[in-house]
Amino acid sequence: MKFIYTLILALLLAAAGTISLNAQKSSINVPLPFDRYYDLEDLYKAIEVLNEAFPELTTAEVITQSEEGRDVWAFTINNPETGDHLAKPGVYVDGNIHGNEIQATEVVLYLMNYLLTNYGEVEKITELVDRNAFYFVPSVNVDGRYHFFNNANTPSTNRGLRVPGDGIRDAVSDRSISNDLNNDGSITQMRKRDPFGQWNTHPEDPRLMVRAEPGEFGEWTLLGQERYDITEDTQISEDAERYVDPNRDWGSNWAPPYVQRGAGDYPFMGNVSKAIAEYMVGRPNIIMVFAFHNTGGMFLRGPGTKARGPLNPSDVAVYDILGENAEKIVPGYDYLISWKDLYSTYGDFTEFTYNTIGAFSFVGELFMARQETYAAYEDLMSADHESLGFGTTTEQDLQRLKFNDNVAHGTLFKEWEPFDHPIYGEIEIGGWAKMSTRISHPFMLKDMAHRNAAAVLFAAAQTPKVEMEITRNERIDDNLNRVRVRLVNHNAIPTMTNHAVQNQLYPQDMLTAEGNNIRVVAGGRVTDRYRDRVNYKEHRPELQFLRVPGTSVVYYDFLVEGNGELTINYNSRKAGQRTANTTIN
Amino acid sequence: MRTGFKLLIISTISLFLFLISSSLIHSQSFWEGYHSPEQANNVLTETAQNHPDITRVHTLAQSPGGRELLVLEIGPEVNSEEKSLPAILVVANMEGVIPITTEASLKLVDLVIEENAADNKTWYILPNGNPDAAVRFFQSPLRKDVRNEFPVNDDMDDQVGEDGPEDINGDGFVTTMRYKHPQGEWIPVDGEPRLMRRADRAKGERGIYKIHSEGIDNDGDGQINEDPTGGINVNRNFPHLFREFTATGGAWPGSTPEARGIFEFVFSRPEIAMTFSLGETNFALQPPRGGRQGSADFQNIQIPESFADQIGADPNATYTMDEVIRMVEPLAPPGFEITESVVASFLGLGAVVNPMQEDLVFYNELADRYKEYLEEHGFSTDRLSPAAAKDGSFELWSYYHLGIPTFSMDFWTLPEFREETEDEDSGLTPEKIGEMSDEEFVDLGEETIGQFLEEVGAPAQFSAAQVIGMVQGGMLTTSRIAEMLAQMPGGSPASPDGASAEDKALIAWVDNELNGEGFIEWSEFDHPDLGTVEIGGPIPFVKNTPPYVMVDSLLSVQVPWIVTLSEKMARLNIMSTDTEYLGGGIHRVTAWIENENYLPFPTAMGVRNQNPKPAQIFLQANGLDFIEGRERTLIESLGGMEAKKFTWLVRSPETRLLQLRLETTHAWSDRSQIELGGSR
Repeated sequence: MKFIYTLILALLLAAAGTISLNAQKSSINVPLPFDRYYDLEDLYKAIEVLNEAFPELTTAEVITQSEEGRDVWAFTINNPETGDHLAKPGVYVDGNIHGNEIQATEVVLYLMNYLLTNYGEVEKITELVDRNAFYFVPSVNVDGRYHFFNNANTPSTNRGLRVPGDGIRDAVSDRSISNDLNNDGSITQMRKRDPFGQWNTHPEDPRLMVRAEPGEFGEWTLLGQERYDITEDTQISEDAERYVDPNRDWGSNWAPPYVQRGAGDYPFMGNVSKAIAEYMVGRPNIIMVFAFHNTGGMFLRGPGTKARGPLNPSDVAVYDILGENAEKIVPGYDYLISWKDLYSTYGDFTEFTYNTIGAFSFVGELFMARQETYAAYEDLMSADHESLGFGTTTEQDLQRLKFNDNVAHGTLFKEWEPFDHPIYGEIEIGGWAKMSTRISHPFMLKDMAHRNAAAVLFAAAQTPKVEMEITRNERIDDNLNRVRVRLVNHNAIPTMTNHAVQNQLYPQDMLTAEGNNIRVVAGGRVTDRYRDRVNYKEHRPELQFLRVPGTSVVYYDFLVEGNGELTINYNSRKAGQRTANTTIN
Repeated sequence: MRTGFKLLIISTISLFLFLISSSLIHSQSFWEGYHSPEQANNVLTETAQNHPDITRVHTLAQSPGGRELLVLEIGPEVNSEEKSLPAILVVANMEGVIPITTEASLKLVDLVIEENAADNKTWYILPNGNPDAAVRFFQSPLRKDVRNEFPVNDDMDDQVGEDGPEDINGDGFVTTMRYKHPQGEWIPVDGEPRLMRRADRAKGERGIYKIHSEGIDNDGDGQINEDPTGGINVNRNFPHLFREFTATGGAWPGSTPEARGIFEFVFSRPEIAMTFSLGETNFALQPPRGGRQGSADFQNIQIPESFADQIGADPNATYTMDEVIRMVEPLAPPGFEITESVVASFLGLGAVVNPMQEDLVFYNELADRYKEYLEEHGFSTDRLSPAAAKDGSFELWSYYHLGIPTFSMDFWTLPEFREETEDEDSGLTPEKIGEMSDEEFVDLGEETIGQFLEEVGAPAQFSAAQVIGMVQGGMLTTSRIAEMLAQMPGGSPASPDGASAEDKALIAWVDNELNGEGFIEWSEFDHPDLGTVEIGGPIPFVKNTPPYVMVDSLLSVQVPWIVTLSEKMARLNIMSTDTEYLGGGIHRVTAWIENENYLPFPTAMGVRNQNPKPAQIFLQANGLDFIEGRERTLIESLGGMEAKKFTWLVRSPETRLLQLRLETTHAWSDRSQIELGGSR
């Protein structure tokens, strides 16, 4: 009820147009509000209130400090009454590894809040919580988040880790030296009237700049981002930062900076990537990973580079089920392959989680500029959905400006205003605000968060669900019984990726048969259950190694001698433990 | 009840091993004197106590087995964290199975202190990069294994590290078992039945034996010694060409603390200008290998179709890096700099995997100097070749990622065995040919090549003249010849008894120098899993570790070369300055900056990977006004024995005296004053 009330309230407020990016913020209570973005303090508060409201189901822990000493929190949802978290399929969700991609955090918070507030109310949610362990790191790059909210930025700055520059090569680089000259909280663009310029204003909307026709001069020169030109400054900026991208810092297919821009000196140079790697190694039950970013409206899977070769085909089949459904749950998002459909990356997070941890892994790229529409429904439906990946077309921008004017009430675009620049003289400053372009107006947040959370939950519902049953126990000779065990995986995700089996990331699932006064004479996988054909294992027949593929049944036979209680144990890192007993006599 | 029986055997053997291991130090007294990791660390701490002004001990990491990796710093700046002098990092025994390299590092410590080689630079010396593995040389039974004690479940079963090798016959050594088996592939070598070779089925031979390391099937899974304690080979855990999913490489580069500790140590010390790895490879004799496929070629870039459209390129054509940058630049947002690295990473062009041509020049020249040096010292180079550098090793990482001169050195391999034949031997091996350039090979002449082809039993249609023609015509390369010969049946080089060159060298060494002590004669043993087996073979380490009495003479010639090479590292100086008055208060200031030493600043690889810090020149005076140029100028590179000119146009209304400073992190620094002439 509470949840619905909040929803209605949010809709009312949005309709009344009282929400703006600077509006009075609602207080943070459970259920969490999603009418706003959470700055770092808000995020810490949200974790605290959720943890306090659901002490049995949740654990909140600080896993490391950032380069600037801020806490990075991990949050677990697990119902201890249905078992230890490590005994259930683990679903790991994080966001905001790029400091500027803030709404990824709200998606993670939304999912946390949604699972907890609907637990015991909604059957499907209750089952998901009871059957899985959920791990969350709502904001991976806490320094980036802090500086994105608290300082002036473009929509794309404060992306990396706060690793100090070397004072030599980094010191001359002016890429991170921008100044909010007009103190409006956003770093926008500078333009100057120039009879020899290359740019004109767009005839339909003078806020938009278009290139002059070939062979003609335009009326403007674009001077780039708002800043004093550091190259004319005799002061060397000692605090210039080096660009280290935390999503190029992972130890799988890692490459140094001359190969992969944004890489650090070595893999896991960042405190947080190192801590999350250790966190995941300590949670071998993790089989599903989502990492949220912006922009583009995509669900990406590996490989990150072509040279890696295609993924294992049977794993691809599983990815396809999850990805194709995610596309439908979040309309407009595309399920894509990283290197092929986007660009090559070395050492990114999901490369690591698939290759080294052995989890099915998606990157969710939130936000689509083409949802910022100003068009009649019929026109929208018939429009040509041409997109430029991360960029926008002029047509889109014209529409986005009208959207800004009439739907977002001017909060997304900073109008061009005159400014007296110390070097360039009379210029104008203006352009898309910090909280735009890759971040939607908050009125669109909740719908986006819900659909993306639902895509995660679709995958969570497909984590392996294995049932074990002894289907036969019959005496076949004087002192010999045949015991048949059936393992059924009801869901689409196998108990191990095929990649993990082939590359021996960790031992396969184990099936053991044991009991007092009982000796296992032979045991193996049943290849034809009607004709009792079995591949018997030559050594240690009481211990079988296996993997149960998605929506599949496997049978194992044990030939045992003796009398007494036989215990069959199935033990899977990612699919939990099962036990069954039968009496041999 | 077979399991019970086996358990009994296992516990009996363990008990037996326990009893003997406490009293028995392996019998090979000719190795007494080598320093264990603990002893080596003690040498470092004692040295630091004896020379507190110029030495300091750092703890670089702790191994998974709890052993400390100590680094001895030697130099005049031991008491300051920030260094003004360049430094050399020397790591030793990264594989943990080459004891002589630890001795070499300790020898180097002595040499640097005695010869004052650290008076104007810093040395960082790590005697044991893999102490968990290194300690096994000092334990009984003697066993050779590159793995540290990082827990790894090699056989992917329910236990970790449960089935390692054992000295089941209690002779103090883990050697080799041979046993007859229907699928045996090995037969004894004719005339030398101690040695084994693979049966040549093409010649109608049938294998008799299987061979295996000594031990039993501890975990009852039908496999012997398949899951020893540990671990990771530290020298495969570095990020250049790191191989995932291998038995001993680790899960990711730096996943074992020894390697991670080295990353952090090196990257927090920008003064490190040069590295040495003392191990089984030798870049001082043989430059890092090239010829690998997949190197990113910046002269011939093919644009994938999906991008070609966007940037207006032809997906079927190739472009240079500069051309691609020019195509991409107009599409970049304002203020975003399109660099080689941006393009390379966007297009996924990958890492450099072959040494840069310019760097091979100094590697080859220095290798020639080293050979001359060894010859002058009467030091025989007729020994088995050093190993080739391995993917994921320290030395490749240092060359490719650090971009500074990187030398590896090995100090001993078995002397080459020479057949006493009437004809003079061609002196060639496939390995030697693989290392030659095509020109060098052709220069050997038809006669030598012909003799060699006969020695290796090359098919008759391959006459020397034909082979020379093919090499000259580019149809065949020396590396391809070496590859083909290696694939020829019978192993290489072919010889009357079929033993490999290494085995022949080994047996000659054992018999002539060790009085047979390094080889255990095959003797029967009743094995709990295999029945009757024979246990014997060369003892561990005999192939790569000379008797201790030889160590001093080996090292006193070879180790000083490290100091010699260290003296060649780049040193930047202000060579001269000049001023010219142009009128109107404007002066042209000129400075020549030189690299007075042989090695380049940095390597060509360093220019490419932009890792080493550039040098900086500061031109400063109160109120100095720059018409052209800036107060701070970067020098990205300066070749060995080369100079570059830098000019500024300035006005200096307040003073005629300008300060010129040259600052580097790793090639010394210099300063000078410039007096402006002419009118203000």
